[in-house]
Amino acid sequence: MVEARERAEGVVGPRRYEEVLKAARSRAEEALRAVGVSFSIEEGKGFVDLVVDVDSVVRAAEALKAAGFDHVVSVTAVDYPKRKQIKVAYHVTSYLDPEIAGGIVGLAVYLPRASPEMPSLTSVWVSAEFMEREVYEFFGVHFRGHPDLRPLLLVPELAEKHPLRKDFVVREESIYEGVPERVRRG
Amino acid sequence: MEEGRVYLGNLDVAAKRARDILLGKIKLEKVVDWANAFSLWPVHLTTSCCSTEFAATFGPRFDGEQFGALPWVGPRQTNLIVIEGTVTRKMACAVRVTWEQMPHPKFAIAMGACALDGGLFYNSYNVVRPWEVIPIDIYIPGCPPRPESVARAIVELQRRIRSRRVASSWIREGWRPDRDYVAPKEDYCSWQRTSSPVPL
Repeated sequence: MVEARERAEGVVGPRRYEEVLKAARSRAEEALRAVGVSFSIEEGKGFVDLVVDVDSVVRAAEALKAAGFDHVVSVTAVDYPKRKQIKVAYHVTSYLDPEIAGGIVGLAVYLPRASPEMPSLTSVWVSAEFMEREVYEFFGVHFRGHPDLRPLLLVPELAEKHPLRKDFVVREESIYEGVPERVRRG
Repeated sequence: MEEGRVYLGNLDVAAKRARDILLGKIKLEKVVDWANAFSLWPVHLTTSCCSTEFAATFGPRFDGEQFGALPWVGPRQTNLIVIEGTVTRKMACAVRVTWEQMPHPKFAIAMGACALDGGLFYNSYNVVRPWEVIPIDIYIPGCPPRPESVARAIVELQRRIRSRRVASSWIREGWRPDRDYVAPKEDYCSWQRTSSPVPL
Protein backbone atom coordinates (compact mmCIF):
# COMPACT_ATOMS: atom_id res chain seq x y z
CA MET A 1 0.00 0.00 0.00
CA VAL A 2 2.92 2.29 0.78
CA GLU A 3 4.35 1.51 -2.58
CA ALA A 4 1.00 2.24 -4.19
CA ARG A 5 0.81 5.60 -2.50
CA GLU A 6 4.33 6.46 -3.62
CA ARG A 7 3.41 5.55 -7.13
CA ALA A 8 0.29 7.65 -6.96
CA GLU A 9 2.33 10.60 -5.75
CA GLY A 10 4.80 10.16 -8.52
CA VAL A 11 7.68 9.03 -6.29
CA VAL A 12 8.27 5.78 -8.13
CA GLY A 13 7.08 7.07 -11.47
CA PRO A 14 4.22 6.04 -13.69
CA ARG A 15 3.62 2.38 -14.30
CA ARG A 16 3.29 1.04 -17.78
CA TYR A 17 -0.29 0.76 -18.97
CA GLU A 18 -0.03 -3.01 -19.38
CA GLU A 19 0.70 -3.37 -15.66
CA VAL A 20 -2.24 -1.20 -14.66
CA LEU A 21 -4.55 -3.02 -17.02
CA LYS A 22 -3.41 -6.36 -15.68
CA ALA A 23 -4.09 -5.28 -12.10
CA ALA A 24 -7.48 -3.85 -13.01
CA ARG A 25 -8.40 -6.95 -14.95
CA SER A 26 -7.50 -9.37 -12.20
CA ARG A 27 -9.40 -7.21 -9.71
CA ALA A 28 -12.49 -7.21 -11.93
CA GLU A 29 -12.33 -10.95 -12.55
CA GLU A 30 -12.03 -11.66 -8.83
CA ALA A 31 -14.98 -9.39 -8.11
CA LEU A 32 -17.21 -11.14 -10.65
CA ARG A 33 -16.18 -14.60 -9.46
CA ALA A 34 -16.90 -13.63 -5.86
CA VAL A 35 -20.54 -12.89 -6.65
CA GLY A 36 -20.86 -15.92 -8.91
CA VAL A 37 -21.43 -14.13 -12.20
CA SER A 38 -20.30 -16.18 -15.16
CA PHE A 39 -18.44 -14.23 -17.82
CA SER A 40 -16.33 -14.69 -20.90
CA ILE A 41 -13.39 -12.55 -21.91
CA GLU A 42 -12.78 -10.69 -25.13
CA GLU A 43 -9.40 -9.05 -25.33
CA GLY A 44 -7.12 -7.33 -27.76
CA LYS A 45 -4.14 -5.07 -27.60
CA GLY A 46 -4.75 -2.66 -24.77
CA PHE A 47 -8.32 -3.56 -23.95
CA VAL A 48 -10.23 -6.28 -22.18
CA ASP A 49 -13.99 -6.80 -22.13
CA LEU A 50 -15.73 -9.00 -19.60
CA VAL A 51 -18.85 -10.22 -21.38
CA VAL A 52 -21.70 -11.11 -19.03
CA ASP A 53 -25.30 -12.15 -19.46
CA VAL A 54 -28.06 -9.52 -19.63
CA ASP A 55 -29.77 -10.89 -16.54
CA SER A 56 -26.65 -10.63 -14.39
CA VAL A 57 -25.31 -7.30 -15.64
CA VAL A 58 -26.60 -5.29 -12.70
CA ARG A 59 -25.11 -7.72 -10.19
CA ALA A 60 -21.82 -7.62 -12.10
CA ALA A 61 -21.85 -3.81 -12.11
CA GLU A 62 -22.51 -3.66 -8.39
CA ALA A 63 -19.67 -6.09 -7.77
CA LEU A 64 -17.29 -3.99 -9.88
CA LYS A 65 -18.37 -0.84 -8.07
CA ALA A 66 -17.75 -2.51 -4.73
CA ALA A 67 -14.34 -3.65 -5.95
CA GLY A 68 -13.22 -0.09 -6.56
CA PHE A 69 -14.28 0.71 -10.12
CA ASP A 70 -16.02 3.94 -9.22
CA HIS A 71 -16.90 5.58 -12.53
CA VAL A 72 -17.75 4.90 -16.15
CA VAL A 73 -15.41 6.35 -18.74
CA SER A 74 -17.59 5.60 -21.71
CA VAL A 75 -20.62 3.63 -22.72
CA THR A 76 -20.54 2.52 -26.31
CA ALA A 77 -22.11 -0.04 -28.59
CA VAL A 78 -21.09 -2.08 -31.61
CA ASP A 79 -23.56 -3.22 -34.24
CA TYR A 80 -23.15 -6.73 -35.69
CA PRO A 81 -25.83 -7.03 -38.39
CA LYS A 82 -24.76 -10.50 -39.58
CA ARG A 83 -24.83 -11.97 -36.10
CA LYS A 84 -28.01 -9.95 -35.39
CA GLN A 85 -26.47 -8.65 -32.20
CA ILE A 86 -25.57 -5.36 -30.58
CA LYS A 87 -22.77 -5.29 -28.07
CA VAL A 88 -23.02 -2.64 -25.38
CA ALA A 89 -19.81 -2.00 -23.46
CA TYR A 90 -19.34 0.00 -20.26
CA HIS A 91 -15.73 1.04 -19.79
CA VAL A 92 -15.06 1.44 -16.10
CA THR A 93 -12.04 2.55 -14.11
CA SER A 94 -11.19 4.16 -10.80
CA TYR A 95 -10.27 7.59 -9.55
CA LEU A 96 -9.60 6.72 -5.94
CA ASP A 97 -7.84 3.36 -5.94
CA PRO A 98 -4.24 3.93 -7.07
CA GLU A 99 -3.73 0.21 -7.80
CA ILE A 100 -6.22 0.21 -10.66
CA ALA A 101 -6.57 3.92 -11.47
CA GLY A 102 -6.24 4.37 -15.20
CA GLY A 103 -6.75 0.72 -16.03
CA ILE A 104 -9.91 0.55 -18.11
CA VAL A 105 -11.96 -2.63 -18.03
CA GLY A 106 -15.00 -3.16 -20.22
CA LEU A 107 -18.22 -4.70 -18.97
CA ALA A 108 -20.01 -5.87 -22.10
CA VAL A 109 -23.41 -7.31 -22.91
CA TYR A 110 -24.69 -8.85 -26.14
CA LEU A 111 -28.25 -7.92 -26.99
CA PRO A 112 -30.56 -9.12 -29.77
CA ARG A 113 -30.50 -6.62 -32.59
CA ALA A 114 -34.24 -6.72 -33.21
CA SER A 115 -35.20 -5.55 -29.72
CA PRO A 116 -32.13 -4.38 -27.80
CA GLU A 117 -33.15 -3.84 -24.22
CA MET A 118 -31.17 -4.01 -21.02
CA PRO A 119 -31.37 -2.67 -17.46
CA SER A 120 -29.88 0.75 -16.98
CA LEU A 121 -26.71 0.91 -14.91
CA THR A 122 -27.36 4.52 -13.91
CA SER A 123 -28.36 3.35 -10.45
CA VAL A 124 -24.89 1.88 -10.02
CA TRP A 125 -22.76 4.46 -11.84
CA VAL A 126 -24.33 7.92 -12.07
CA SER A 127 -21.87 8.97 -14.75
CA ALA A 128 -23.42 6.49 -17.17
CA GLU A 129 -26.61 8.53 -17.52
CA PHE A 130 -25.78 10.78 -20.46
CA MET A 131 -23.76 8.11 -22.23
CA GLU A 132 -26.70 5.74 -22.06
CA ARG A 133 -28.82 8.43 -23.64
CA GLU A 134 -26.25 8.70 -26.39
CA VAL A 135 -26.27 4.94 -27.01
CA TYR A 136 -30.06 5.06 -26.95
CA GLU A 137 -30.27 7.60 -29.75
CA PHE A 138 -27.40 6.32 -31.89
CA PHE A 139 -28.11 2.56 -31.61
CA GLY A 140 -31.66 2.32 -30.33
CA VAL A 141 -30.74 0.37 -27.22
CA HIS A 142 -33.50 0.77 -24.65
CA PHE A 143 -32.32 1.09 -21.04
CA ARG A 144 -34.92 -0.04 -18.53
CA GLY A 145 -35.09 2.15 -15.44
CA HIS A 146 -33.17 5.06 -16.90
CA PRO A 147 -34.37 8.28 -15.22
CA ASP A 148 -34.52 10.45 -18.35
CA LEU A 149 -34.29 8.49 -21.58
CA ARG A 150 -34.49 11.18 -24.27
CA PRO A 151 -32.29 11.87 -27.30
CA LEU A 152 -29.26 13.86 -26.21
CA LEU A 153 -27.37 15.14 -29.22
CA LEU A 154 -29.60 14.47 -32.19
CA VAL A 155 -32.91 15.95 -33.20
CA PRO A 156 -35.77 13.49 -32.55
CA GLU A 157 -36.47 12.71 -36.22
CA LEU A 158 -32.84 11.70 -36.69
CA ALA A 159 -32.66 9.80 -33.41
CA GLU A 160 -35.47 7.52 -34.55
CA LYS A 161 -33.28 6.33 -37.42
CA HIS A 162 -30.37 5.36 -35.11
CA PRO A 163 -27.58 6.70 -37.33
CA LEU A 164 -24.67 4.62 -36.03
CA ARG A 165 -26.29 1.31 -36.89
CA LYS A 166 -24.71 -0.36 -39.89
CA ASP A 167 -27.88 -0.31 -41.99
CA PHE A 168 -28.24 3.48 -41.75
CA VAL A 169 -27.39 4.84 -45.17
CA VAL A 170 -25.75 8.24 -45.32
CA ARG A 171 -26.97 10.24 -48.27
CA GLU A 172 -24.05 11.01 -50.57
CA GLU A 173 -23.99 14.65 -51.52
CA SER A 174 -22.47 16.23 -54.56
CA ILE A 175 -20.35 19.30 -54.01
CA TYR A 176 -22.86 21.86 -55.22
CA GLU A 177 -26.03 20.17 -54.02
CA GLY A 178 -28.49 22.66 -52.65
CA VAL A 179 -26.16 25.60 -53.05
CA PRO A 180 -28.00 28.75 -54.14
CA GLU A 181 -26.97 30.17 -57.47
CA ARG A 182 -25.46 33.33 -56.07
CA VAL A 183 -23.32 31.36 -53.62
CA ARG A 184 -22.18 29.05 -56.41
CA ARG A 185 -21.06 32.01 -58.48
CA GLY A 186 -19.12 33.28 -55.48
CA MET B 1 -11.01 59.84 -48.43
CA GLU B 2 -10.69 57.01 -50.91
CA GLU B 3 -13.62 54.71 -51.38
CA GLY B 4 -13.73 51.98 -48.79
CA ARG B 5 -10.35 52.77 -47.33
CA VAL B 6 -9.78 51.61 -43.80
CA TYR B 7 -7.67 53.74 -41.57
CA LEU B 8 -6.92 52.83 -38.04
CA GLY B 9 -6.09 55.09 -35.15
CA ASN B 10 -5.11 58.15 -37.13
CA LEU B 11 -6.30 60.92 -34.87
CA ASP B 12 -5.74 63.78 -37.32
CA VAL B 13 -7.79 62.15 -40.04
CA ALA B 14 -10.52 61.17 -37.61
CA ALA B 15 -10.73 64.70 -36.21
CA LYS B 16 -10.91 66.19 -39.69
CA ARG B 17 -13.64 63.78 -40.57
CA ALA B 18 -15.61 64.48 -37.41
CA ARG B 19 -15.47 68.17 -38.23
CA ASP B 20 -16.79 67.51 -41.73
CA ILE B 21 -19.63 65.43 -40.32
CA LEU B 22 -20.63 68.13 -37.87
CA LEU B 23 -20.51 70.79 -40.57
CA GLY B 24 -22.74 68.68 -42.80
CA LYS B 25 -20.15 68.23 -45.56
CA ILE B 26 -20.49 64.44 -45.40
CA LYS B 27 -23.80 62.69 -45.99
CA LEU B 28 -25.34 61.04 -42.98
CA GLU B 29 -25.46 57.70 -44.80
CA LYS B 30 -21.70 57.64 -44.98
CA VAL B 31 -21.50 58.35 -41.30
CA VAL B 32 -23.80 55.44 -40.57
CA ASP B 33 -21.67 53.10 -42.64
CA TRP B 34 -18.52 54.46 -41.06
CA ALA B 35 -19.88 53.98 -37.57
CA ASN B 36 -21.12 50.48 -38.29
CA ALA B 37 -17.85 49.42 -39.86
CA PHE B 38 -15.86 50.38 -36.81
CA SER B 39 -18.19 48.93 -34.23
CA LEU B 40 -18.54 45.34 -35.36
CA TRP B 41 -19.13 43.61 -32.08
CA PRO B 42 -19.19 39.82 -32.48
CA VAL B 43 -21.51 37.87 -30.23
CA HIS B 44 -19.97 35.07 -28.22
CA LEU B 45 -21.54 32.00 -29.79
CA THR B 46 -19.24 28.98 -29.87
CA THR B 47 -20.56 26.38 -32.24
CA SER B 48 -17.38 24.41 -32.55
CA CYS B 49 -13.61 24.23 -32.21
CA CYS B 50 -12.69 27.26 -34.37
CA SER B 51 -13.58 29.33 -31.33
CA THR B 52 -10.07 28.82 -29.95
CA GLU B 53 -8.64 30.68 -32.91
CA PHE B 54 -11.39 33.23 -32.59
CA ALA B 55 -10.43 33.77 -28.95
CA ALA B 56 -6.79 34.11 -29.95
CA THR B 57 -7.77 36.81 -32.44
CA PHE B 58 -8.97 38.99 -29.60
CA GLY B 59 -6.15 38.06 -27.26
CA PRO B 60 -3.23 40.39 -26.61
CA ARG B 61 -0.99 39.02 -29.32
CA PHE B 62 -3.26 39.56 -32.33
CA ASP B 63 -5.42 42.25 -30.72
CA GLY B 64 -8.58 42.18 -32.78
CA GLU B 65 -9.92 45.12 -30.84
CA GLN B 66 -7.75 47.43 -32.90
CA PHE B 67 -10.36 47.03 -35.66
CA GLY B 68 -13.14 48.18 -33.37
CA ALA B 69 -14.44 44.66 -32.89
CA LEU B 70 -15.14 43.80 -29.29
CA PRO B 71 -16.49 40.34 -28.43
CA TRP B 72 -19.58 40.78 -26.34
CA VAL B 73 -21.72 38.44 -24.33
CA GLY B 74 -25.29 39.13 -25.36
CA PRO B 75 -26.84 39.15 -28.82
CA ARG B 76 -28.90 42.25 -28.04
CA GLN B 77 -25.82 44.46 -27.96
CA THR B 78 -23.96 42.97 -30.93
CA ASN B 79 -24.13 43.27 -34.68
CA LEU B 80 -21.71 40.61 -35.92
CA ILE B 81 -21.99 36.85 -35.60
CA VAL B 82 -19.03 34.62 -36.36
CA ILE B 83 -19.99 31.00 -37.04
CA GLU B 84 -17.04 29.28 -35.41
CA GLY B 85 -16.87 25.94 -37.15
CA THR B 86 -19.27 23.03 -37.56
CA VAL B 87 -22.96 23.68 -37.10
CA THR B 88 -24.94 20.63 -36.03
CA ARG B 89 -28.70 20.42 -36.39
CA LYS B 90 -29.45 21.33 -32.82
CA MET B 91 -26.88 24.11 -32.82
CA ALA B 92 -28.40 25.53 -36.00
CA CYS B 93 -31.43 26.51 -33.96
CA ALA B 94 -29.23 28.32 -31.46
CA VAL B 95 -27.48 30.12 -34.30
CA ARG B 96 -30.78 31.16 -35.82
CA VAL B 97 -32.26 32.33 -32.51
CA THR B 98 -29.12 34.33 -31.74
CA TRP B 99 -29.21 35.85 -35.19
CA GLU B 100 -32.81 36.90 -34.80
CA GLN B 101 -32.15 38.46 -31.43
CA MET B 102 -29.47 40.74 -32.83
CA PRO B 103 -30.58 44.23 -33.90
CA HIS B 104 -30.08 45.12 -37.54
CA PRO B 105 -27.94 46.04 -39.43
CA LYS B 106 -26.12 42.83 -38.61
CA PHE B 107 -23.45 40.83 -40.38
CA ALA B 108 -22.20 37.27 -40.37
CA ILE B 109 -18.85 35.64 -40.95
CA ALA B 110 -18.59 31.89 -41.52
CA MET B 111 -15.31 30.60 -40.18
CA GLY B 112 -13.55 27.35 -41.04
CA ALA B 113 -13.93 24.58 -43.59
CA CYS B 114 -16.91 23.03 -41.81
CA ALA B 115 -18.83 26.28 -42.08
CA LEU B 116 -18.18 26.43 -45.82
CA ASP B 117 -19.29 22.99 -47.01
CA GLY B 118 -19.05 20.61 -44.08
CA GLY B 119 -15.29 20.17 -44.22
CA LEU B 120 -14.21 17.20 -42.17
CA PHE B 121 -17.83 16.24 -41.61
CA TYR B 122 -18.83 16.32 -45.24
CA ASN B 123 -21.69 13.93 -46.03
CA SER B 124 -22.67 13.78 -42.40
CA TYR B 125 -26.26 13.27 -41.30
CA ASN B 126 -26.08 15.83 -38.54
CA VAL B 127 -24.29 18.81 -40.09
CA VAL B 128 -25.98 21.79 -41.72
CA ARG B 129 -24.35 24.52 -43.76
CA PRO B 130 -24.54 27.86 -41.98
CA TRP B 131 -25.57 29.69 -45.15
CA GLU B 132 -28.82 27.73 -44.99
CA VAL B 133 -29.43 29.02 -41.48
CA ILE B 134 -28.46 32.68 -41.63
CA PRO B 135 -27.20 34.95 -44.45
CA ILE B 136 -23.39 35.01 -44.53
CA ASP B 137 -21.31 37.95 -45.66
CA ILE B 138 -17.74 36.69 -45.50
CA TYR B 139 -16.32 33.16 -45.60
CA ILE B 140 -12.96 32.25 -44.08
CA PRO B 141 -11.39 29.01 -45.33
CA GLY B 142 -9.01 27.00 -43.20
CA CYS B 143 -9.12 24.22 -40.64
CA PRO B 144 -8.91 26.16 -38.41
CA PRO B 145 -8.20 29.59 -39.87
CA ARG B 146 -5.36 31.54 -38.34
CA PRO B 147 -6.19 34.59 -36.22
CA GLU B 148 -4.79 36.74 -39.02
CA SER B 149 -7.50 35.35 -41.28
CA VAL B 150 -10.19 36.35 -38.84
CA ALA B 151 -8.72 39.84 -38.59
CA ARG B 152 -8.57 39.99 -42.39
CA ALA B 153 -12.21 38.96 -42.59
CA ILE B 154 -13.21 41.73 -40.23
CA VAL B 155 -11.24 44.29 -42.23
CA GLU B 156 -12.76 42.94 -45.44
CA LEU B 157 -16.24 43.22 -43.95
CA GLN B 158 -15.50 46.82 -42.94
CA ARG B 159 -14.38 47.58 -46.46
CA ARG B 160 -17.49 46.00 -47.89
CA ILE B 161 -19.83 47.83 -45.54
CA ARG B 162 -18.28 51.17 -46.42
CA SER B 163 -17.85 50.67 -50.15
CA ARG B 164 -21.29 49.14 -50.80
CA ARG B 165 -23.19 51.23 -48.23
CA VAL B 166 -24.57 48.05 -46.72
CA ALA B 167 -25.54 49.36 -43.29
CA SER B 168 -27.18 52.62 -44.36
CA SER B 169 -29.22 51.03 -47.15
CA TRP B 170 -30.29 48.30 -44.79
CA ILE B 171 -31.54 50.87 -42.30
CA ARG B 172 -33.29 52.83 -45.04
CA GLU B 173 -35.02 49.85 -46.65
CA GLY B 174 -35.54 47.71 -43.59
CA TRP B 175 -34.08 44.51 -45.05
CA ARG B 176 -31.34 43.55 -47.44
CA PRO B 177 -33.00 42.19 -50.57
CA ASP B 178 -30.25 39.68 -51.34
CA ARG B 179 -30.60 38.02 -47.96
CA ASP B 180 -33.91 36.23 -48.28
CA TYR B 181 -32.90 32.73 -49.31
CA VAL B 182 -32.37 31.22 -45.87
CA ALA B 183 -34.71 28.46 -44.72
CA PRO B 184 -37.54 29.23 -42.29
CA LYS B 185 -36.81 28.99 -38.61
CA GLU B 186 -39.19 26.05 -38.20
CA ASP B 187 -36.80 23.83 -40.16
CA TYR B 188 -34.21 24.11 -37.44
CA CYS B 189 -36.15 24.71 -34.26
CA SER B 190 -39.16 22.40 -34.59
CA TRP B 191 -37.45 19.69 -32.50
CA GLN B 192 -37.77 21.87 -29.41
CA ARG B 193 -41.47 21.15 -29.19
CA THR B 194 -40.99 17.42 -28.66
CA SER B 195 -39.74 16.82 -25.16
CA SER B 196 -41.30 13.45 -24.40
CA PRO B 197 -39.29 10.24 -24.90
CA VAL B 198 -39.24 8.98 -28.44
CA PRO B 199 -40.70 5.45 -28.74
CA LEU B 200 -38.35 2.82 -30.08
